[in-house]
Amino acid sequence: MKFFWRILGVIIGGIFVYAGAVKVLDPVQFGLDIDNYKMLPWFVSVRLAFYLPWLEIFCGLALIFRFLYRGGLSLLTVLVLVFIGATVAAKARGLDITCGCFGHASQHWSFMQHMAIDLAIFCALVVAMIKEWLGLALSFRFFGGVGRH
Amino acid sequence: MKFRTLGEAFIIIALACLPAIGEGFYFRDKVSWQSAIPASELATVEQAHAWGDIVIWVDARPDDEFAADHVPGAFSLTEDRWNELLPQFLPNWSPGKKVVVYCSAQSCNAARDVAKRLRDEAQLKDVFVLQGGWEEWVKKNR
Repeated sequence: MKFFWRILGVIIGGIFVYAGAVKVLDPVQFGLDIDNYKMLPWFVSVRLAFYLPWLEIFCGLALIFRFLYRGGLSLLTVLVLVFIGATVAAKARGLDITCGCFGHASQHWSFMQHMAIDLAIFCALVVAMIKEWLGLALSFRFFGGVGRH
Repeated sequence: MKFRTLGEAFIIIALACLPAIGEGFYFRDKVSWQSAIPASELATVEQAHAWGDIVIWVDARPDDEFAADHVPGAFSLTEDRWNELLPQFLPNWSPGKKVVVYCSAQSCNAARDVAKRLRDEAQLKDVFVLQGGWEEWVKKNR
């Protein structure tokens, strides 16, 4: 079972490292993608375009190497939740947007494809979070402290 | 337990700042920090008129809006029908011409995206986005 959680962490982490890396290569395009949501002024979008990909990469690496694992897991869960919210809000306002989440690979995804991928990743993150918190709770209960998981 | 998670999150947030700042520094001259479209890639209605016959107008609005009305002589070129419309547009371009792309208004992105693709994919030079878009053109011409 421990192997399963390791594999899950590597897969989710790998997805975010890849997603971050393709955006690091073209921050201007990612800035335009953020700008397409029409939620933030350009000077914020362009700065986020330089920051968010690195945040994704560091969080992804945290999941892969299980270093700062809970922090990475929490941040990614929040990021994906914010992204799902922004995508739904953009759709509700009738905006035809490309998410830019995975560079050119995601440019022609439909709204439903975006949602399916995002929700799948979100579910995987939530499951990993629950496992982590349950594991912590059990270790407190039985051993009176934080154990290694 | 919660504080440890928060602490880890803050460490990652801080770590991610370092390469982001480095990358921002590297790209400092290649990015327009104040506007999504650099001033050098924008054209006003007056500028476009002053350029006279060397201007090729490109309408990046949806087909129905183009059909309803457009700048006289403009070519329709949208991302949805890019592969179909680009070959129809390209024979009208020649070196020395200036391409001015417009969409509905200042807030739309279609003109910016089409202009970018004309520069990157069709390798055209002197491609501009009309400031204020179609709304501005109508205001100044009708």
